[in-house]
Amino acid sequence: MRHKLTVNPLALNLRRRDLLKGAGALGVAAALPAVISRPARAAGQPTLVNSIRSLSNPYHATWNKGGAAFAKSVGADYVTLVTEGNSEKGIADIKAILAKTGGNCCINVDPNDSPDARPIVEACKAAGAYVVTQWNKPADLHPWDFNPNYVAHISFSGVPYGKAMAETLFKAMGGKGGVVALGGIESNVPAIERKKGLDQALAANPNVKLLDYQVANWDANTALEKTNAWLTKFGDQIGGIWAANDDMALAAVEALRAGGSAGKVPVTGIDGIKLAVESILKKEMVGTVAWDPYWQGGMGLSIAYHAKTGGFDPTTQPKDHREFYGKGVIITADNAQAFYDSNIKAEPKIDWNDIWGRVNGQIRY
Amino acid sequence: MTTQALGADKKARSARWALRRRFAAWAPVAVLALLCVIIALINPNFLSAGNFVRIAQAAMIPLVLGLGATFVILMGSIDLSVEGVLSLSAVILSLLVLNGANSNDFGPLAILPVLLVGAAVGFVNGVVHVGLKTPSFMTTLGTWFIGVGVANALLGGTAVRINDPFIRGLAIERFLGLPWGVWLALACLAVAFVIQNNTRLGRYVYALGGGEELAALSGIPVARVRVLTFTLAGVFYAIGGILAAAQLGLGNSLIGNGRLFSTITAVVVGGTALSGGEGSVLQTLVGVLIVAVLNNGMVLADVPPSYQIGVQGLMIIAAVALSIDRNVMRIVK
Repeated sequence: MRHKLTVNPLALNLRRRDLLKGAGALGVAAALPAVISRPARAAGQPTLVNSIRSLSNPYHATWNKGGAAFAKSVGADYVTLVTEGNSEKGIADIKAILAKTGGNCCINVDPNDSPDARPIVEACKAAGAYVVTQWNKPADLHPWDFNPNYVAHISFSGVPYGKAMAETLFKAMGGKGGVVALGGIESNVPAIERKKGLDQALAANPNVKLLDYQVANWDANTALEKTNAWLTKFGDQIGGIWAANDDMALAAVEALRAGGSAGKVPVTGIDGIKLAVESILKKEMVGTVAWDPYWQGGMGLSIAYHAKTGGFDPTTQPKDHREFYGKGVIITADNAQAFYDSNIKAEPKIDWNDIWGRVNGQIRY
Repeated sequence: MTTQALGADKKARSARWALRRRFAAWAPVAVLALLCVIIALINPNFLSAGNFVRIAQAAMIPLVLGLGATFVILMGSIDLSVEGVLSLSAVILSLLVLNGANSNDFGPLAILPVLLVGAAVGFVNGVVHVGLKTPSFMTTLGTWFIGVGVANALLGGTAVRINDPFIRGLAIERFLGLPWGVWLALACLAVAFVIQNNTRLGRYVYALGGGEELAALSGIPVARVRVLTFTLAGVFYAIGGILAAAQLGLGNSLIGNGRLFSTITAVVVGGTALSGGEGSVLQTLVGVLIVAVLNNGMVLADVPPSYQIGVQGLMIIAAVALSIDRNVMRIVK
């Protein structure tokens, strides 16, 4: 008698190969095309292009809305390019749009990584297109070296806003007591800058003591764990909690709530996400900073558009208009309701012609 | 040597072996106890009642996730879909109960569809894995991404606040000093313990992990056991998703971030072998507590933030090295 066996071979001895296959699958997924464009072109008007990381995070989704709003306001065609975290794809997509429009376009780009900015700027210069970069570029790449096509670079310094939030927190604590602080990933530039701001505020307020600083990786779960451990370690000594972003701040509020002290211990965040603004309205958080990606998405295009269409001459602008820090919006209990009504409930209203309105000093390297 | 002497020698050896195996099973408990003593010596606050509750709170979600993963790992497979199911469950729950984004208000009734979604993802894991003979590693890697992808598509990257008092109550309201969520996790542990020891499924899982050819030859319905086990795991992950949503008071597609590695770490640190057939849900409880106590203790003991991840790594290697039984292993990969 013969038995036929139908047994799966154990998957175990396949694991290492599986891991490689998994890595391959990830690579393929990352390379999927994600260009969203409209084919029709308005006569003579330059095509307006936003190049961003993805549309699945609220920050860049809002950025894209701002770009679309500006394009609509001048009646130009609007194209969104998505890098999905892939630098080569980001650069290739920009070269493709330069070829397609014959250089008749304005590009507002959040480069996937700092080194990407150089090839992007060089390609735009060669094609005669106008470009604005934001957040990431090499320190030795300057707009004035690529006149007139490289119009401007915009970034935001974490130092003054980390400091502003710490001051807001100390004020809510009555200017004295102990604070604990939740930081972002240790090697991230925004995490380093925001902490530097916190340190400056602490130095200026000797009555406030930093009980402990923990790295919570921008992550809510980690922040919850750290805050819980602090409640054991310091208990009532905790007079306030400073967090380097809103996700961690909201988690700290939940840790306080589980212990029955939400709303009694002030908490600050940074980023200005909807839930944080609501939390300020409920008096559980006392402050956050909104970077206003809607403004970034629209104003980056507006600056390039005005340079391209003769609104101003980039070559005669001062350096603090070519490489500048933008302004964040500090949100506290005083203006939270107004901010919520005009920016979250309704589509924000921005004067796209006020192109230098949020210049906050030249970038220092 | 006489045959008697040979027999005695064999007996002594097997007695030694049994002793060593018993030690291996208790090694994680010893590690946990040692850890507690060290931390308590550095910071006596560790032993306060309040901290006990906080560790229980920190452990409830990893425990529920770990229970599901334990069954899959006992079977000799691996399940990477933890974060996918967790995020999807949390997002669906947040959209069905009283929330800040739509007008739904199904209250506790919303839990049922969430559990069904978890079961469905687990069922798909099992059916694809068995039917298409794709390795569990790849199958569940795929459903992980699909789960997060669907959660992302439902919310478009935003977060939804949960206002439902019943769901929030799981994390906030207490019974006998512990939050309801902790009791729910303990109930899950009891259910998992009964499934493991007193049901045919539980025994079959061990049989499959011990040697699948043998299990098939003895008439165990291998395919059905695999599908059922993945489905069961999916339900546990969905419960984990409900607890995570309750704890943070929101649902978003990033809510599961980091949960996969902490889950598998807890299972393995507890002494369950990745090769299958060895371990139990009670050992997973110990593993979860080791990880939770360590995370809590590193803050209490002033371990600098930059070193914490490294300490965690040392802990994993130490716990696993103590609990494996090298005598039964010929090849280690």
